Amino acid sequence: MSDRYSQQVVDHLVSPRNAGEIADPSGRGESGDAACGDVACFTVGISENVLEEVRYKVYGCAACIASGSALAELVEGRHLLDAAHVSKGDLEDTLGGPLPAGKEHALTLVLDALHKAFEDSWNRKAGEMLIGAQTGRETGGRSVVAAMSGGVDSAVTALLLKEAGYDVATVTFRLHDGERGSRSCCSPDTVLFARDTAHRMGLPHFTLNLKDLFHRRVMQDFVGSYSEGRTPNPCVACNAHVKFQASSFLADALGFQHVATGHYARVEEGPTLARPMDESKDQTYVLWPVPRDLLSRTLFPLGEYRKTEVRAIAEERGLAVAYTPESQDICFIPDGDYRGFVRKKVAAEPGDVVDREGQVLGRHAGVVDFTVGQRRGLGVSAPTPLYVTEVRPSSGQVVVGQRQDLEVREVEVRDLNWFLDPEEAACVQVRYNGSPVPCAVEEAADGGWVAYLDEPAIGVAPGQSAVFYTGDGERVVGGGVVARRGS
Amino acid sequence: MTEPVYLDNAATTPLDPRVLESMLAHLGGRRGNPSSLHSLGGSARDRLEEARDSVAALIGASPGEIVFTSGGTESDDLAILGLARSAGPEKRHAVVSCVEHAAVREAAKCLQTEGFEVSWVGVDADGLVDPVEFDAALRPDTALAAVVWANNEVGTVEPVHELAEICAVRGVPFHADAVQATGRVPIAVSETPVSTLALSGHKLYGPQGIGALYVREGVFLQPILYGGGQEKGLRSGTQNVAGIVGLGSAARLAREEMEDRVAHERALRERIVAGTAEIPDVSVNGHRERRLSNNVHLTVSGVEAESLVLFLDSLGYVIGSGSACSSGGHKASPVLLAMGLGEREAFSVVRITVGKDNTAEEVDGFLEAFSTAVAQLREISPLYAG
Repeated sequence: MSDRYSQQVVDHLVSPRNAGEIADPSGRGESGDAACGDVACFTVGISENVLEEVRYKVYGCAACIASGSALAELVEGRHLLDAAHVSKGDLEDTLGGPLPAGKEHALTLVLDALHKAFEDSWNRKAGEMLIGAQTGRETGGRSVVAAMSGGVDSAVTALLLKEAGYDVATVTFRLHDGERGSRSCCSPDTVLFARDTAHRMGLPHFTLNLKDLFHRRVMQDFVGSYSEGRTPNPCVACNAHVKFQASSFLADALGFQHVATGHYARVEEGPTLARPMDESKDQTYVLWPVPRDLLSRTLFPLGEYRKTEVRAIAEERGLAVAYTPESQDICFIPDGDYRGFVRKKVAAEPGDVVDREGQVLGRHAGVVDFTVGQRRGLGVSAPTPLYVTEVRPSSGQVVVGQRQDLEVREVEVRDLNWFLDPEEAACVQVRYNGSPVPCAVEEAADGGWVAYLDEPAIGVAPGQSAVFYTGDGERVVGGGVVARRGS
Repeated sequence: MTEPVYLDNAATTPLDPRVLESMLAHLGGRRGNPSSLHSLGGSARDRLEEARDSVAALIGASPGEIVFTSGGTESDDLAILGLARSAGPEKRHAVVSCVEHAAVREAAKCLQTEGFEVSWVGVDADGLVDPVEFDAALRPDTALAAVVWANNEVGTVEPVHELAEICAVRGVPFHADAVQATGRVPIAVSETPVSTLALSGHKLYGPQGIGALYVREGVFLQPILYGGGQEKGLRSGTQNVAGIVGLGSAARLAREEMEDRVAHERALRERIVAGTAEIPDVSVNGHRERRLSNNVHLTVSGVEAESLVLFLDSLGYVIGSGSACSSGGHKASPVLLAMGLGEREAFSVVRITVGKDNTAEEVDGFLEAFSTAVAQLREISPLYAG
């Protein structure tokens, strides 16, 4: 690698192509910041998914200016899918080979600005949709939008679909700030990593900004649940309102037929949701709220694979994501400190810790610190272990009792999403890693349903999901949210 | 392609053909080691001493006070480290300005790792050290003080005479880095009580890789190189005789031609200042009067330095940039930050330094190219709304 610029770089510097800014663009994207020193700005004019006009501006070193010029020239006039396909390597090729050492960030900078312009155009096009509304759809051929988080599962999903002959477009969602900390153009970032992974697999990549939607439908609900004494599941909320809608929006916009994610589950006739081949990775419990019309266009390729096989595929194809660690935590709370997160958002008022008879046993610093079934941090000593059996936000009381006080035989469920006839519900699962308990179901007067359990279940907390399965335990009949404990 | 017009004389100057000739005369003949007793050794020694006389004459020193080194950096390091390490155990403090060349700045940082305390004296918006502030920084335990004679970036000429006198009164050894000033600013160590002074060959139309340190009679330095005891023990190692011959010739020519050169450079400098002043949002950094005859340092709002330098290079004009961009982002010059420039402004600076061989026609051609390059880069800059 030379420490000097190629003739192509100098040529783009002195005679930049497509310099300027579109007055009324379809999308505008900017990348870079003061710490880095360089700033790139792209404006794009898109008509029927073709980049009719691309203009760029750059403040930065010769490498940045030349990269911007070369990228603008490369993508103008092309279909969005082709443009979203252009990688750092492609760009280097047009610039006469690798840039001098230390200048590689120029490629990241200009690609990021272009992709942010695409992202902005999607948001403009989506209008209300990406902040809470619905949309219709058209269908195309064997084509699929695959959501990519930057992890191994979603990357292999996209790869398997490509190898199965689908036209694949990948998409990464910007859900919240603070993914991997820094937003500087030169630092590792979830979106940049996912884009790189997609480009290495030869796939186009898009980014959708869903921060408003995610904040409203997932994070606010998460915080609100704790202060209302419920135990939220943000992954369920995201699957219900965010991920599948957004993928579907992009599929519609591109004229694509399917959407896909890296979940371990199967979609069967109906459509109905079924357990995956790798039962240890089963994610049907968090997928119950996916609307039927979206599920019918959804593909879960990993439903046919074991996790070990998925990792092996990634290694075999040389994907860097093969070695990313398994994520266990809630994505917007990477340190796993849920209480700390909630406490930053809501004021907590102290209250009483009481027993079932209402006798005060001690004080606590706020109901947000407690969920049903919790054993630790009660601040009350007793001869036998005490558990939180109920949280009463209105009176500020946390009720504690013995383990047997947590047992329930009736679970009231609301906000149901049925894939099959409720009659087929033969058992219910009330925790992510729990086992289904045989039950009978009955519709309640208020539109909810009640599950009568054949054997008592422990630690059923309001806010959690209750998912009904068929008699063989293989298919999801439907699911809903636990409303309150039965007596 | 024709030779580019060279306007980066502060980085290095072209080798004067007359200097080259003097060096070739030495390199081509039979040579001896100047330390040898025989006649060839004696001949080399003669060349060495002639050169020493010329260098001494340029700065008003005695030949015995001149130590030859490998260049400006070695001279600065020898002075800073040597003065500090020989100051005695009770003197563990140094006073250094914020606008030093890296050679002095990094040597002072090295002292910090050895347990010395360093007081960094700030500058005003023109890059000038305030003698009152400088005086206040000196302490009874100060081992040395150092201020650059003329700054290599913005070209501001410091009040070195006044600072050296303060130090002389306070009994503190004072080092002046005169690498940029030598040959452009009248220097007489007989008048200005510096203890040590660094100069370099390749800023004077002499060869690269040769320099000298003036060490005032009676000032004691601990060496940084040990060996055969050449250069009065201050710089062991067989001397670079050809380089020293070149430095001697360059010093002699600089002394003879200084007045003409300075007048010539100053006229070209003012031509550039006036020409660039016609471009909006371009401003001169550094002191307008107290500045090197050859230096124009500009902030070009909305334009990143590297892109401008390379653009001009492609048009056939070679200038210097005030910052470097790399994978870790830009590194803003500490000198500019000390003068109060913002981070972003510090990435938008270029240095144009003329020399004795530049012509008014070259400057006019440069001004046209500069104007074109700035306009075009601003056209594509998202940070310039002109």
